[in-house]
Amino acid sequence: MPNLGTSIRTIAALALVATLAALAAATAGATPAKRSGTTLVGAGSTFVAPLVSQWVAPIGAAYGYELQYSAIGSGGGIAAITARTVDFGASDAPLSPDQFNACNGCVQIPWGLAGTSVMYNLPGVKNLLHMDGPTLAKIFMGGITTWNDPALKKLNPGVPLPATKITIAHRSDGSGTTYNFTDYLSSVSPAWSSKVGRGTSVNWPVGNGGRGSSGVSAIVSQTVGAIGYADVAYALASHFSYFAMKNRSGKFTTPGARGVLAAASSDQKPDPTTNALSIVDPPKKYPLAYPISTYTYVIVPLQSTKAPELKKFIFWAVTKGQAYGPKLRFVPLPKSVLVVAEKAIKRIHS
Amino acid sequence: MSAADLTPTEPTRRPFTGRRVHFGDLALQLVAGTAAAGAVALVGLIVWKVIDGARPAIDNYGLGFVTHIAWDPVKNVYGAASFLFGTAITSLFALALAAPLALGIALFLTELAPRVLRAPVTALVETLAAIPSVVIGLWGIFVLGPVLRDHVEPALHDTLGFIPLFGTPSSAGPSVFTAIVVLTIMILPIVSSICRELFLSVPRELKEGALALGTTRWEMVRGVVFPYARGGIAAALILGLGRALGEAIAVTQVIGGGVFIHWNLFEGGDTLASKIAASYQGADSNVQVSALVYLALILLVFSLLMNVAAQWIVRHVARRQGVGLDRAGPG
Amino acid sequence: MSAHSLTKASLRAEGLPRRRAVNRMMESLAWLAAAVAVAILGVVVYSVARRGAPALSLDLITKTPASFSLTPVKQGLANAFAGTLVLVGLATAMALPSGILVAVYLTEFARPAIRSAVGLALDLLNGVPAIVIGIFVFGLFVVGHGQSALAGSFALACLMLPLVARATMEVLVLVPSSLREAGLALGVPRWRTTLSIVLPQTIGGIVTGTVLAVARVAGETAPLLFTSSLVGTKVSWNPQHALQSVPVAIFELAESPDPQDHARAWAAALVLLLFILFASLAARWLATRSRSRMGASR
Repeated sequence: MPNLGTSIRTIAALALVATLAALAAATAGATPAKRSGTTLVGAGSTFVAPLVSQWVAPIGAAYGYELQYSAIGSGGGIAAITARTVDFGASDAPLSPDQFNACNGCVQIPWGLAGTSVMYNLPGVKNLLHMDGPTLAKIFMGGITTWNDPALKKLNPGVPLPATKITIAHRSDGSGTTYNFTDYLSSVSPAWSSKVGRGTSVNWPVGNGGRGSSGVSAIVSQTVGAIGYADVAYALASHFSYFAMKNRSGKFTTPGARGVLAAASSDQKPDPTTNALSIVDPPKKYPLAYPISTYTYVIVPLQSTKAPELKKFIFWAVTKGQAYGPKLRFVPLPKSVLVVAEKAIKRIHS
Repeated sequence: MSAADLTPTEPTRRPFTGRRVHFGDLALQLVAGTAAAGAVALVGLIVWKVIDGARPAIDNYGLGFVTHIAWDPVKNVYGAASFLFGTAITSLFALALAAPLALGIALFLTELAPRVLRAPVTALVETLAAIPSVVIGLWGIFVLGPVLRDHVEPALHDTLGFIPLFGTPSSAGPSVFTAIVVLTIMILPIVSSICRELFLSVPRELKEGALALGTTRWEMVRGVVFPYARGGIAAALILGLGRALGEAIAVTQVIGGGVFIHWNLFEGGDTLASKIAASYQGADSNVQVSALVYLALILLVFSLLMNVAAQWIVRHVARRQGVGLDRAGPG
Repeated sequence: MSAHSLTKASLRAEGLPRRRAVNRMMESLAWLAAAVAVAILGVVVYSVARRGAPALSLDLITKTPASFSLTPVKQGLANAFAGTLVLVGLATAMALPSGILVAVYLTEFARPAIRSAVGLALDLLNGVPAIVIGIFVFGLFVVGHGQSALAGSFALACLMLPLVARATMEVLVLVPSSLREAGLALGVPRWRTTLSIVLPQTIGGIVTGTVLAVARVAGETAPLLFTSSLVGTKVSWNPQHALQSVPVAIFELAESPDPQDHARAWAAALVLLLFILFASLAARWLATRSRSRMGASR
């Protein structure tokens, strides 16, 4: 019956077209994209992602730019900007000399400042347990495997600690947060420094890997007894407990505004060529400092077709954009760093 | 039918015959020929581009890469050995689990199932193949993983813990064992549907002859069906293996990650494909990217070899039965 | 035939009870295997439905993802659904004509040697893992230029091409040579015969093959990770930009610590699964119908 067949086929085709059209209409009804402006595509650090995502709406409102940022990890950001597959990269790990060369005419500008929290999942145990660097390094090397280990008990006298096994959650992707964390462990533990070292991606002696700070948070949230590290905004979003870390002067500090600001005062002068700063494990004379704090950087080519837009965007980010930071525990850039940032922005040209 | 086996029936396929050559004929042949040449060129281009991307790592690490157990981006020392081991252990165990199930399903559908059940159950098994790997991975993370971690792995460890495979379960969910179960689910439909078509093509006289001699159905299957179809079964298994090797997404979601060679299935690990999926976006140096493409090259070589081997078996060992080897693309 | 199981000795009547028991055990195992397969499918579909249905709402396809916030915000995956439409649509536009042309060349023009060579290439292409295709397209189009839905669609088209080509070939071969010869006898040139007489007979099979290929690539994640994953949150139909897709969105949301993200992942998985199941069923129905029509036309 060819007639029946043809009409069935026609009806089916029309139904499919109608469904597709309806779907298209429904999705187009969602936020209409401001097609008039430029699109700025960026990728990199998951550490700074919470802050950058706050900038999307105001940047669109101010300049009409559509900001697209993908949190793929600092390693990915460096690779992406080196290959020029994005307009800007973001990394908490400053570029090494080799990476600078490979990037072929890039400039690195600090645009964020916050602390890496060391989070844990131990129901029934209080928040802000005390921890110090050497013990933490031992834990991450697999030397301490249960929560009721004497070393932990010594740091937290009077706190009942269960015999739960410690599970380590670390980053499996190239991460600036990993760089910050391993930088800290390397400076407080000679064993860690020689065995593992610092980097965006290291040979972890023990533990499970997660992609992105979200991945690490996911492992911590699903595993009782887990310890992981991520930008403090992730710990807050997931309502995790995190450690109060012992700094060089013997005080236990937290990754809040006070601790990070104090750490930032330990290095006020960005490196003249790379604009990098190192504020990890500050010396004794900064008693309020949180020892695992870090700057985070935007990396752009000195010369690009989108130079005017990038300049406007980064300038906005280091000035007005900083106002979106405090609720996520990002600390506004200190004056001296701001001056250097503005000088670097001026070097970008088309 | 593999693409290379189809034979058109008509004899007149010479490019142009006769004195008048229509421009249209030429044009169609040219355009269609370009498309066909393009398809061949595409395969060559893929191989070339992957070799090209891996070249820095090949120059740096040579063939020793394949036997080296390391993945240290800080010291720029890379090796594929742990991932080769992971790939081998996951794919082979998955095949070992899937093969008897697939054969059982194929036998059920061709010999045992009541007529009314055949079509629906066939459709259901093939639907299993249609589920995207990211959905299976999602299910693996939140449903299968916790069940295996909380119940199956401890049980296996308690009862069979003397076997190194069933060592101490890790405390986090992801494990090689979960990946094996996920892969089994993914290759099951392919192997079973090929076997089903194979068994359907066994000549009835052979089967009825055996039954007439008084064999039980199982003896008939063992004595007639399996030997007749053994080449095709081998090809189906190889294609299933190829599919398992190439699966990246579902595996990376449930396997946990790790750069070591150990027999304990209950810990995390990585396969070639899952390592690439996990690390590619975050690779921050050319050396690391190139090492990952080197892994992809190894994966490509194995997949192509598996494919060619399966085709060869079909051509030379299995009988020509119009067997559908076409569904077995690795994901 | 393997002789060992059918020897006179093994078929002796005294062994019959044991042989029957073995037979029964094997038959039960086969039933069990089939039950296991159906059960697995049931469990997976049930999990997706049970976890996805509560999170299924119009918000999912009308709202876009929200910025990072410390408190839950109503959001959706509109950008992913739009992106998948563009990616799959473009991939089909690339693979369908090429696949048909390859099939036409192989069945109408190619010598046997060329046919096996191209056929082998198609089978090899089918056997390349999707993640390797992703790396290939990344090296070809993304390095230096940036990601785009065009690059992503090209990767998906590479996956679709062998499927479309093979499906078309299977039905082209079924067209009786009498049809071609009748056309030629009437003075219709080869190309006209092929395009206007032979191909229309195969539309059913082509549509079936294409629908199955679409169902396959709609759920592909790996190639898009390299070519179309650095995306924005707004809905965009511009193929020169990298566009979010449903499978990549599910992949990313699955790794989040936030249960709300997981719920959205399940809901998106449910929509994807429903689409793929519907497409597979439609393809199967079309296949049976066109097969009966082909049989009737002989």
